[in-house]
Amino acid sequence: MLAAQAEGRRTFDVAAETTGDALRALPVADLLFNERGELNRHLNVYVDGLDHRECGGLDGPLTGGHVIRVVAMVSGG
Amino acid sequence: MLALVGTRKGLFCLWGDHDRRRWEIEGPLLDGWGIYHAMVDPRDDALFAAANHVVYGPTVQRSTDRGRTWRRSRKVGLPEASGLTVNATWHIEPGRPEEPDTLYLGADPGVLFRSDDGGDSWEPNRAILEHPTRERWLPGAGGMSCHSIQLDPLDPQRMYAAITAAGVFRSDDDGETWTPVNQDVSADFLGDPYPDVGQCPHKLLLHPAQPNRLWQQNHFGVFRSDDYGDSWTRLDGNGLPSGFGFPLMLDPTDPDTAYVIPETSPEYHYSPGARLAVYGTTDAGATWTPIADGLPVPAWAAVLREGSASDAESLYFGTQSGSFFALTDDDQWVEAVRHLPPILSVEVTSWSR
Repeated sequence: MLAAQAEGRRTFDVAAETTGDALRALPVADLLFNERGELNRHLNVYVDGLDHRECGGLDGPLTGGHVIRVVAMVSGG
Repeated sequence: MLALVGTRKGLFCLWGDHDRRRWEIEGPLLDGWGIYHAMVDPRDDALFAAANHVVYGPTVQRSTDRGRTWRRSRKVGLPEASGLTVNATWHIEPGRPEEPDTLYLGADPGVLFRSDDGGDSWEPNRAILEHPTRERWLPGAGGMSCHSIQLDPLDPQRMYAAITAAGVFRSDDDGETWTPVNQDVSADFLGDPYPDVGQCPHKLLLHPAQPNRLWQQNHFGVFRSDDYGDSWTRLDGNGLPSGFGFPLMLDPTDPDTAYVIPETSPEYHYSPGARLAVYGTTDAGATWTPIADGLPVPAWAAVLREGSASDAESLYFGTQSGSFFALTDDDQWVEAVRHLPPILSVEVTSWSR
């Protein structure tokens, strides 16, 4: 569904200093954050396979070459 | 004709022939999104959808090529000082003909937005957002939704918004201020059953040919006002098996005609006595008669507040069990399609394929 909202694209190359900045650079950023800039509750974000919360959260620094995955959380049964 | 059928998992386009007996299905568009409401703006044929998703949040989507491609509005949000965030988009209403770029959006938590750029961006109505009675508003089972927005076609300053569970509000100054208009409308779930706010309107419609007349399907009955909402008369009984229900339909050519789809009670959201029927009045609510030929029996159906539509020709509704029905000229219901995802909304337009 998220890719469908980005004209079918599933990957993006972005230059960013933090995980949050990378997500905010996406054309679907409005679907990831609420109007307060808080990440939607049912989203998982992984940085090089690690939960972003283990890598400094949205303020976690990026040094280049990272792979960030955004995944809809399995919740609700 | 085209019926826009919004479901919990996308928007289906049902194309009907001239007598509404044969239908072709297209979709789902906006696959996976909960379409709380979809409509065609009659001023420019743009297609709008209030599309929500548990993961990706509330959106407004717009298409200018009949649904082939869509573009999201800019983020629909509330100012930080309000302490509120938008939980869902509920209803999109075209603005007045003389304001072709203006639209209105009702949303949860009990907020009204206005767009003056054709739906690209939305600004919250501050008087609703900061209404002095807001602390006494309560969310219903589906949240605190602003679901009905009605513009008086004869008075460019007058409009209405209905919010669950806050009540009906009228503005006589183009949205600058809002007055609760809930006199004689009960709210039996509150300590004071006749408060000024806190009522639970399920759907509000203004009659376009007689805009002093409003109809309201409320949590506690069906009501009519003939004085712009200043006072209300409860209309159920006289043929209605229950005053509880959600949808409301009008005949645009006859202010005395209205239709509802009763459910058993606030605790039992299904057809009374397992008899699914649309009930109509042609005498301003004095008497009601069922229109049920062709509907399944028995049926424990539930129709949501946006789940019905009407035009000058007919009536239409969709159930939470995924069936869409249209009424033919000889008052027979045709089940145009079944087994859709739960139907959240229905609108009709004269588009042909």
